[in-house]
Amino acid sequence: MKTSLYPEHVKLCARIVDFHGWDMPVWYTGIKDEHMATRESSGLFDASHMGEIFVSGKHCTAFLNRILTRDVSSMKPGKVYYTFFLNDKAGIIDDLTVYCIEEQERYMLCVNASNIPVDLNWIHEQNKEKAVIEDKSPQTALIALQGPGSAEILKTCMDFDLEDLRYFTFCKINSPEYGDLMISKTGYTGAGGVEIFLAAENSSPLWRSFVDAGATPCGLGARDTLRLEMGYPLHGNDIDETTTPLEAQLDFAIDMSKNDFIGKESLAAQTSKGLSRRLFGVELLEKGIPRQGYHCLKAGQEVGIITSGSISPVLGHGIALAYLDNSVHEDEEIAVLVRSKLIRAKVKRPPFVKGTISK
Amino acid sequence: MKIPEGLMYTQDHEWAKIEKKAIRVGITDHAQSELGDIVFVEFIEKGSHITAGESLGTIESVKAVSEIYAPVSGTILEVNELLLDTPELVNQDCYGDAWMALIEMDDPTETDNLMNAKVYGEFLSAEAK
Repeated sequence: MKTSLYPEHVKLCARIVDFHGWDMPVWYTGIKDEHMATRESSGLFDASHMGEIFVSGKHCTAFLNRILTRDVSSMKPGKVYYTFFLNDKAGIIDDLTVYCIEEQERYMLCVNASNIPVDLNWIHEQNKEKAVIEDKSPQTALIALQGPGSAEILKTCMDFDLEDLRYFTFCKINSPEYGDLMISKTGYTGAGGVEIFLAAENSSPLWRSFVDAGATPCGLGARDTLRLEMGYPLHGNDIDETTTPLEAQLDFAIDMSKNDFIGKESLAAQTSKGLSRRLFGVELLEKGIPRQGYHCLKAGQEVGIITSGSISPVLGHGIALAYLDNSVHEDEEIAVLVRSKLIRAKVKRPPFVKGTISK
Repeated sequence: MKIPEGLMYTQDHEWAKIEKKAIRVGITDHAQSELGDIVFVEFIEKGSHITAGESLGTIESVKAVSEIYAPVSGTILEVNELLLDTPELVNQDCYGDAWMALIEMDDPTETDNLMNAKVYGEFLSAEAK
């Protein structure tokens, strides 16, 4: 599959890879340059492979409140939450953002590209409330403009004032050049900026205007190192149906005070029983690059496994996310087995680098 | 993609240059470009004996780990320690300053198995299809 921006990637001579069936740019000039451009000025990402599912109708709020971990009933139009679909065991089917478009009446769910079919199945299967479900993923493009220089570019290209928008909110505007846009002050980089949803057919002109204004096109490679520096989990690596939000230390995205939702009982049970492992950041103190599947040891005993790892372009050394067992605590020193060598590392609570998000 | 004349090439995208009874080894322009930003290089110990096709070191880009394979059997005389601290040199000068190792050959006729620049060029085009 290809996004509507694929011809732009080819024009920019991007290195294209297969990402869960999507032909996506992994880099244009290089991951490090693109990463640093996003941290220091502005990076442009095609995230159109992600899914946009609209939920509306009489009982849509009740429905969403049952299948999501946050309370959507108090959401006002323009609000965005990060949340999960959980199974009965509180395993994470997907992590997503929910957008309140019309209070109590219409919402949009932005889900991971690789999970669109699974999510749609799950939503339809659970839909006792008979909410109206529309998958608008194919006709919707998503362009992320991230980094401290995003405000200036938005002003230049669309006369849009980013300061007027608060973090984790969005606004709908109609632009003469690009049609209906949803501009959301969210992102997956920790660098600040926006994510813009628009009709696929309008995506190329908007992309080109951002490039012309000086935004650096960035591939999935930089998207991954940027999110890793912030400790944002990647579904399929760091979280999946076998891990819970509590283990992943994502408690902020669950609301135990609201009425029953799928997975709530299991979460409560896990809280009272205590966690046997937790997702931590791991920062290497010596040369080496931690990778998914590498083992973590403490005093010669295995204490966990790395779920994502790479080098931090900002710090210049290896960073990772790892599930570590109960015996391990923040700021403690452990070792990562890199091939046959034990590399010293420190357990940290991410982010590994300071983000530049303006609230 | 640069493929200098006078060097020999492997199917794993290493180059080899004969220096008397030894060969100098590195990775090709195609290899460095496929890997992207190279951020880590390490070698097996100097003085070790290695068989053709075995790994003489590891090279990591931001995204991936790959091995550097010995084009011939022999003894590792030198490794390029410069790359341990400046791995990005591999992206900048893969046929020059970013050579990987110098191997004293057990049997110089083993280089007969390697490709010349023309054949490697054809091999790359065939691989791209």
